[in-house]
Amino acid sequence: MTAWYAGLLVCLLILFGASVYFGLRSYLERTVRAALSEQARAVGEEIGERVTEKRLPTIVNYLNEKFAPQLNARFIRVTNARDGVLYLSKRTSDRLLEPAVVPTPPRQSEHEYASEAFLPNGNRVLVQVFPVVTPDGKFIVEVGSLYGPIDAVLSGLMMTFALGMPVIVAVAIGGGYLLTRRAMRKVDEITVQAEHISSNNLSKRLPVFQTGDELERLTMALNRMMERLDDAFQHINRFSADVSHELRTPLTILRGELEAAVQQERLTPELLDLVGSALEETERLRTIVDQLLVVSRLDAGGVQMEKVPLDLGQLATSTAEQMLLLAEEKSITVRCDARPGVEVEGDPSRLKQVVVNLLDNAIRYTAEGGSISVSAATQNGWATLMVADNGAGIPPDALPHVFERFYRADKARSRYLGGSGLGLSIVNAICTAHRGEVEIASTEGVGTTVTVRLRPADGRKAASRRAESATAHLVQEWRVQ
Amino acid sequence: MRILLVEDESKVARFIARGLSADCFAVDTAADGNSGLELAAAYQYDLIILDLMLPGMSGTEILRHLRQKDTNVPVLVLSARDAVADKVGHLELGADDYLTKPFALAELLVRVKALLRRGPVSRASVIRVGDLELDRLSRRVTRGGRPIELTVKEYALLEYLMSNAGRVLSRSMIIEHVWDQSFDGVFSIVDVYLGRLRSKIDQSADHKLIRTVRGVGYSVSNGAQL
Repeated sequence: MTAWYAGLLVCLLILFGASVYFGLRSYLERTVRAALSEQARAVGEEIGERVTEKRLPTIVNYLNEKFAPQLNARFIRVTNARDGVLYLSKRTSDRLLEPAVVPTPPRQSEHEYASEAFLPNGNRVLVQVFPVVTPDGKFIVEVGSLYGPIDAVLSGLMMTFALGMPVIVAVAIGGGYLLTRRAMRKVDEITVQAEHISSNNLSKRLPVFQTGDELERLTMALNRMMERLDDAFQHINRFSADVSHELRTPLTILRGELEAAVQQERLTPELLDLVGSALEETERLRTIVDQLLVVSRLDAGGVQMEKVPLDLGQLATSTAEQMLLLAEEKSITVRCDARPGVEVEGDPSRLKQVVVNLLDNAIRYTAEGGSISVSAATQNGWATLMVADNGAGIPPDALPHVFERFYRADKARSRYLGGSGLGLSIVNAICTAHRGEVEIASTEGVGTTVTVRLRPADGRKAASRRAESATAHLVQEWRVQ
Repeated sequence: MRILLVEDESKVARFIARGLSADCFAVDTAADGNSGLELAAAYQYDLIILDLMLPGMSGTEILRHLRQKDTNVPVLVLSARDAVADKVGHLELGADDYLTKPFALAELLVRVKALLRRGPVSRASVIRVGDLELDRLSRRVTRGGRPIELTVKEYALLEYLMSNAGRVLSRSMIIEHVWDQSFDGVFSIVDVYLGRLRSKIDQSADHKLIRTVRGVGYSVSNGAQL
C-alpha cells in the first residue's frame, strides 16, 4: 500500500519535473531568440539607413558602441555577398564565444530565421539570421548568443529536482505513514474491542472516536448492529428461560399424578409398566428442561461462578474414578494421565460437570472393549483437559454443530443411547463462562478427542498451593480383568 | 401433625395433599398468598409448604411476614426457580428447605419428615430391613449374619436406600445424595451401581430386598410394604 503510494508520488513528481523543465527551456529559448531577433532587426534597419545615406563603413563603430556585443556575450556578424564580412564582433569578455569560428548560416532565405551553430569547442550557439535587402545588395545580419546560460539555469533546475524529490517523497511517505498510523491506531483499538465481544458480553460497545469521519460512522453503525444482536440474544435467552419455567408446572403435575398411579395396588403389571414408561419420560423431560435452563443462563452470562483454585488433574482423576464402573460395564479401559500443578481458577462443581459430561459421552459412544484416555496438562500457557476415545467418531459434516443445543450426529443411534442432547452445549457454556474454550476433533471409526482449554490460575497462588499439596504425577490405568 | 400447603396450582396441591395424607398428616390447603398467610396466623402448624409464585401475596412475602413475627414453624419452599441465588436468598430469609419443581413426591415426603425430625432420620446406629443390617458406626453390612463387602459408594447408596426403607427413591434423588449435582442427568451411573449392589445383596438370597419401580426409582423394602 505504502509502496504503491510512494511509486505513484514519484511518477507524478517526475512528470511534473519534466513538464517544468521543458516548459522553462522553451520559454528561455524563446526569450533569448526574441532578444536576438530584436537586435538583428535593429542592425538590419541601421544598415538600410546607412546604405541610403552612403555611409555604410561607419556602421562598424556604431555597432561596437551601440551594442557592445563583446560585453553582452553576444556575437554579431554582418556579411554581404559582394564584400564578404562587413562587421564581426570581437571575442566576448568571458572568452567563450569567438565570433571568427562561428560557421556561416547553412541556407539562403529572404526572411528571418532561427538557426543554431556549434563551435569547435563544442559550445552551442543560438543564431538569429536576418537578411536585409538594400539597393546596395543583400546583407545578412547574424546575431547570436551562447546556449550556456540557458543550460546553466536548466541544470540548476535539474539539480533542485534531483535533490528535492527524495526529500519530498520521504516527507510525504513519512507524514502519510504517521497520519495513517494515527487513524489506524483507532481502527486497531476498535478491532481489539470487537474481538472481545462475544455472545456473553453483547452489551459491550465499541469505543466511538469523535472524528466526524467515516471511522466514527462505521463504529456507530457497528454499535447499532450489536444492539440489535444483543436484543435478539436477550430475547432468545429470556424466551428459553420462560419456557423452562412454564414447562415445570405441568411437569410437576404429570409426575405427581403418575407417581400416585404407581402407588395404586390394583394396577395390572401391564398398566404399571405403561405408567412407569411415562414416568421415565417425564424424568427425561425434567432433565432436559433443567439443562436447557442451565445452558441459557450460562449463555446469558447471568450465572455467578465460584472462583476457587483447583487442580485440574486431581479433578479429572477423581471424577474418572467415580465413573469407572460405567466404563467397566462395557469393558472399556480408562487411562488417566494427570500432570501435577495444572491449576485453574473456577467453579469446582461446574468444572466437574464438564468432566462428567465428557466422560459420559465418551463411554456412551465407545464400543465394548474400547479405551478412553483422560489427561490434564499445561500446553501453550493453557490448562488443558483432554478426553479421547476410540469410539464411533463423528462425521465431519456434523462436527461443527456438536456444541449446538439438541444437535445429534446420528439421530437414531443417539436416541437409542440416551442422553439429553445438551451435554456438549453445557460443556461449551461452562468453558465459555470460565473464559476458556472447547475443541473437538474426530475421525469416523477411529475416535473422538475433546480438548478443553482453561486459563491457568494466577502463577504465585498456584505455586504456593503446589508447595502445600505437592501432588505427584499421577498416571492411572483401569483395565477390566 | 398438621401441615399447611400454600399452592395455587390445584392439581399440584391435590397430589401433594394426597401423598401427605397417605402418610397420616393432616393437610390444609390455601390457593393464594393472602389466605395462606391468614391460615398460618390462625393455626399452629407443624410445617408450612410454600409455593413462591402465588396470586395475591408471593411466597417470599409470606415467608418474610412469618419470620418477622418470630414464628419458628419450619418452612419448605417449593419453586420452579432453580437459580442458586433464589435458593440462597430464601434460605437466608428463613426457609428451612428449598425444593425445585418438578420434584418426586417421595423426595418431598423425605424432606418433610426430615424437617419434622421424625421418621427415617433415625438416630439409631443400626438400620434393619428384613435380615439386612447396616451398622453406621462400624460401616458393616450383613445379611442373615453373613458379612457383605461393599465399596464406599455402594455403602453410601445402600445407607441412603435403607434409611428411607419402604420408600421409592428416584434416580435424581439418589444422584443428589450419593453423588453430587455434577452428575445431574447421568442416570446410568445409578443403574450400574444398583446392579452391583443388588448382585451383592440379593443374588444368593431367595427374598429380594432391592426393588425397581419403573420410572420412579429404587427402594429397599421387606416385601409386604409397597
